[in-house]
Amino acid sequence: MERGKAHLILIAGTLPAENLGLIHGKVVRAGDSLRVKDFTFPCGQGTGAMISSALAVTSALGLEPPHALLAGDIGRGQGTRLLYQYLVEEVKNLKPQILALHYCLPIVRLMQKLCEVLERCQPRPWLIADAGAMYAAKAAGVAPQFDVFTPDPSEMAFLADPEASHPAYVSRHLFNSGVQDVPDLAKKAYSHGGAARILLVKGAIDYLVTEGRVVARIEEPNVPELECIGGTGDTITGMVVALTGAGWEPAEAAFLSARINRLAGKMAGVTPATPVAKLIDHIPGSLKELAKKEVLSV
Amino acid sequence: MLFKRTGRAGKAAHELPDTRGIIIFPSVEEALKGERTLKKEGHECKLVAPPPGLRQGCDLALEVQLIEQTALARALEGKVAYLGIYPLKGAAELLQIVKVVFFPQDVMVKAGNMKLVFAQNTGIIVNISGGGCPDVPYLYAQLVGRKLDEVERPRHKGFTLCALMLDRAWEEALAIWKGGRPT
Repeated sequence: MERGKAHLILIAGTLPAENLGLIHGKVVRAGDSLRVKDFTFPCGQGTGAMISSALAVTSALGLEPPHALLAGDIGRGQGTRLLYQYLVEEVKNLKPQILALHYCLPIVRLMQKLCEVLERCQPRPWLIADAGAMYAAKAAGVAPQFDVFTPDPSEMAFLADPEASHPAYVSRHLFNSGVQDVPDLAKKAYSHGGAARILLVKGAIDYLVTEGRVVARIEEPNVPELECIGGTGDTITGMVVALTGAGWEPAEAAFLSARINRLAGKMAGVTPATPVAKLIDHIPGSLKELAKKEVLSV
Repeated sequence: MLFKRTGRAGKAAHELPDTRGIIIFPSVEEALKGERTLKKEGHECKLVAPPPGLRQGCDLALEVQLIEQTALARALEGKVAYLGIYPLKGAAELLQIVKVVFFPQDVMVKAGNMKLVFAQNTGIIVNISGGGCPDVPYLYAQLVGRKLDEVERPRHKGFTLCALMLDRAWEEALAIWKGGRPT
């Protein structure tokens, strides 16, 4: 893809609301919140954090904002079903270049159905998944069809466990693995089809893995408080989505996103009690900082 | 540049993890009652014979979707007697390992894929992170900013396995805050 050119990004995920039907449209910032059509929602944890960080990047780069496909779900799965049904029917017409799937109930048969449809899309969008969508893709056996997953170390253990259908039932010996064992877990996950082509494993050390092999480690700046903050994984994934949409290769996008997230955490002076919105505010500044260091040519 | 685009891998030719769970009952009567109760609440389930390794009650069990474990347990609680909910394959027990990280003002308790952070001096939950099911952001909104001993426990509000992991973290956090665990 050509860098700096607008590519249609579609982020699909649920919001924690009981009676919210499907909403689809371009995302705009509305003060401290986000808006899609007439619906306003907070940029906090979950899909909201992912969209906010993607929007922060596209705005900073002067690109088209992402589109969002949202539905309310508090864990019963009704919003998840709406999202998948809509995508199965409409993704060919929507023609996103980047499709990011996020918080949803991991329902295996829905994910399989969607992937069948995506296989027939020409060209096929880049596929990025985190959270419940990543769980579903692994459990459904379609993980290798995805370009990027962004697990944390506990989710990495889940991807490496061929029998686990959810991180709550991971084999004890895999869960007990330390951060130094991430490369082995990644290799295991890749060998049995539990991994996407690219993994960005978010943790004390961020590992960038392509096709089962660690190609980069990101350790600086070291901000241990980030692990406490709900939504910091979502922000990384949102940036991977936006930078891929801006034309970076997904692996480059993942590498840069991990760096930007750490830098934003440092600039925000986060504590374990910091809400993720504060970190998101510092994403544009972090982007500029990396551009200054010529790590990122904006 | 270090990275280059390569083709996507083909379809996986590996055996898939089993997403089904099984509920074991002490009697056939309770199993039948369980089926009626769960179907009434909109859960998909079917009566099956329990696999040999899980045969500990009667000869009838209910096959369910494991991800719904928290909601299933709540639907049965106080109405139907059952012996347990288990995955059909893989690790037979829910991950019970808890890890604790101390910060100068706060404590982070990790259970499986969920993390709960509370302020050491007040017991107020200041953050929740991890997880991927849709009830995680919902529980975040319900719990953050409130005291550990004043919130409704996550497994009473959530629906999924992520909620169950968060409940485990909450349980441990409460014990640490009340002095029941070494700090």
